[in-house]
Amino acid sequence: MPTCQEVAEQATEYLEKAMPRRERLGVWAHLRVCPNCRTYLRQFMGTIALTRRAAAAAPPPDDEDRLVAAMKAARTPGAD
Amino acid sequence: MALDEDAALLPRLRAGEEAAFRELVRRHHGRLVRLAGVFTGARARAEEAVQDAWVVVVTGLDGYSGEAPLGAWITGIVMNKARNRAARDGRVVSFADLARSEAEGPALEPGRFMPDGHWAERFSAWPSPTPEREAGDRQLLARIGDALETLPPAQRAVVLLRDVEGHEPAAICRALGITEANMRVLLHRARTRLRDVAAALIEPAPAKRSIPATRL
Repeated sequence: MPTCQEVAEQATEYLEKAMPRRERLGVWAHLRVCPNCRTYLRQFMGTIALTRRAAAAAPPPDDEDRLVAAMKAARTPGAD
Repeated sequence: MALDEDAALLPRLRAGEEAAFRELVRRHHGRLVRLAGVFTGARARAEEAVQDAWVVVVTGLDGYSGEAPLGAWITGIVMNKARNRAARDGRVVSFADLARSEAEGPALEPGRFMPDGHWAERFSAWPSPTPEREAGDRQLLARIGDALETLPPAQRAVVLLRDVEGHEPAAICRALGITEANMRVLLHRARTRLRDVAAALIEPAPAKRSIPATRL
């Protein structure tokens, strides 16, 4: 069975299902008996969700009004 | 990402309704600038590339087939614009070279483990978001956003494409010219780093000292 260190270093391969079956079973078996690694892995997955939200909550365009006006002009029939 | 809500906007976008453009921009602009920055470098250039891409998006709306979600279609246009912009600026980024230098050594310091490979730290479950914690969550998200910006470029590219945009590994590797093994190593390092950042904000007191029972 892999150690906590090995499980932590393989977390992404495990979640991306990019591991040989034998190794995958090893990680799975470790997680069954190691609550600390289970919590770590849950936090790891939680981080992916947080990252998605964080990236969406980015600053608005430098000049939103000008941009929207440019889009509207580009969409108006006969504008070009 | 609210992709179905984007589909609902489509008729209004095609009709040239200003409020619909504004809504679409508010939903996507931030993530698109981050993504464009992967190729263009400086934020100002990323901002310009995305603003150019928005005009391409609205002029091309009639050609949008609806096969891919609208957000993904826009992402493709932005990536093209950003890559062209980077090429025009003479900024050639070899993600394969970056991947080599960014992927050295383990993602986690060996000192965080005992000699037998057990963790030297205890983790506790993170609370799920609640309305009462919304302000704290906003701060957390802002700090994670900052941490995203400070990731090495290839790690940032991969985490944005995989975890934020949800692209398939093969498509990401094609876009960046890296192998799937490279991609997973970079992704792993980025996720590990971001988890550490989040953990430091969510659990400011490491579980090494004895914690009052009321906290538990």
